[in-house]
Amino acid sequence: MRRGVGLAAFDLQEQSKRSYDVLSSELSKTQIDNLHSQLNHFRTSLAHFAAEHRESIKSDPSFRHAFQQMCSSIGVDPLAGPRKGGWWAELLGLGDWQYELGVQIVDVCVSTRERNGGLIDMAELLRMVSKLRGVSGGIITEEDVVRSIKTLQPLGTGYRVVEIGGSKMVRSVPKELDEDQAAILAVAREEGGRVIEDHLIQKKGWIRERARAALENMLLGDGICWLDDQAEGSRAYWVPSAMHWDA
Amino acid sequence: MALSTHTTPSGFNLPSIHSFPPFFTEQPNPTTQTTVTNQWIRLITTYARHRKLFILRIEDAETPGSEWDEILRNERINRRLLPTHLSNIISAMSAKNLVEYEPPKQTRSVLVYWRLPEEWAEVLHDWAVKTGQLNSILTFYDITDPQIESALTNIPVPLLRRAIAILGKTGRSQIIAIPGGEGVRFLARSK
Repeated sequence: MRRGVGLAAFDLQEQSKRSYDVLSSELSKTQIDNLHSQLNHFRTSLAHFAAEHRESIKSDPSFRHAFQQMCSSIGVDPLAGPRKGGWWAELLGLGDWQYELGVQIVDVCVSTRERNGGLIDMAELLRMVSKLRGVSGGIITEEDVVRSIKTLQPLGTGYRVVEIGGSKMVRSVPKELDEDQAAILAVAREEGGRVIEDHLIQKKGWIRERARAALENMLLGDGICWLDDQAEGSRAYWVPSAMHWDA
Repeated sequence: MALSTHTTPSGFNLPSIHSFPPFFTEQPNPTTQTTVTNQWIRLITTYARHRKLFILRIEDAETPGSEWDEILRNERINRRLLPTHLSNIISAMSAKNLVEYEPPKQTRSVLVYWRLPEEWAEVLHDWAVKTGQLNSILTFYDITDPQIESALTNIPVPLLRRAIAILGKTGRSQIIAIPGGEGVRFLARSK
């Protein structure tokens, strides 16, 4: 811009500055409008998507998996609570779905706790939760259970997924399993639920005292093991959570 | 290993815990033992109701051939409930008024209350009303061994006496001396 001299030039400068201001605010207004309309469009699409696929998301595990992958890749958490998630959760109703599953998981864990000492096999849990939900509840997967357990975390319930002997188990009492206990659980799974000292001596190379101490500890301390004194040969220990229960 | 329910020859559905070998052992962990005891109590009560069994004896766990064998033994896994364990379960049931030592002052035989005496009293009165025997004098034998089998057939006399006594409190029964023993008369509910 040519820079003039004198008062007239000063006026001109003021005037053009005003014009620029007007122009710039008009430009940003267009941008904001544009953004609003994009957001509206997005929202409408989402509402449409939700209405169209809500049922599939709830009932079809592979669809749900794909949807959750998509959400995480764009950095959105569809499960963020009803308040936090705003219209996401509202439109999809997925938050409620997940909480409901959480409640059912707690139900199964608590009702089986007296026999399994608060440790349940993932497959067993899935089976019992599915039974609880009935046929209309749709199929649920291990991934759904893991996700629901995460949503339970703020409650401080101590629910955790632990891996023992290559398979997943859900621990519903806030107590750590030590290495020896984990080893015993793994052996119990291989042996159909039954463990004797000799198994641990042969398979794990433990000395008898260590095997006995670890087994007695699980029997008396946590109630994860049950005693069988009518077994042939030696005192046998049984781990209910390593067995398949029909009812 | 899978633990499944099992239907016995008498048509009773055993819960899956009955095929879990440690179920037949008294557990050293008190929490676990509470579970075992409660499960046994439920099992004994429901089985008694299923078979209409009134008397349970410690002997039933000692020798095979008892009418309780289907629950006290599991031949499929070669386990049985030991007499000392049964004795402890029975004393837990007695504490909950689910059984009564019969005869009194011993602990080897009990009456199993799969219906409470108060419930038996109502069953008894209903039976008298339905069979048109209100106001007539009946012997105990008429009740425990009626011509047409009823819910009260084979009810042990001590339990029958308790039920009659309960009805007596509301004026719905009277014990009457008859030649050669006692009889009872049922009366309509006094309003």
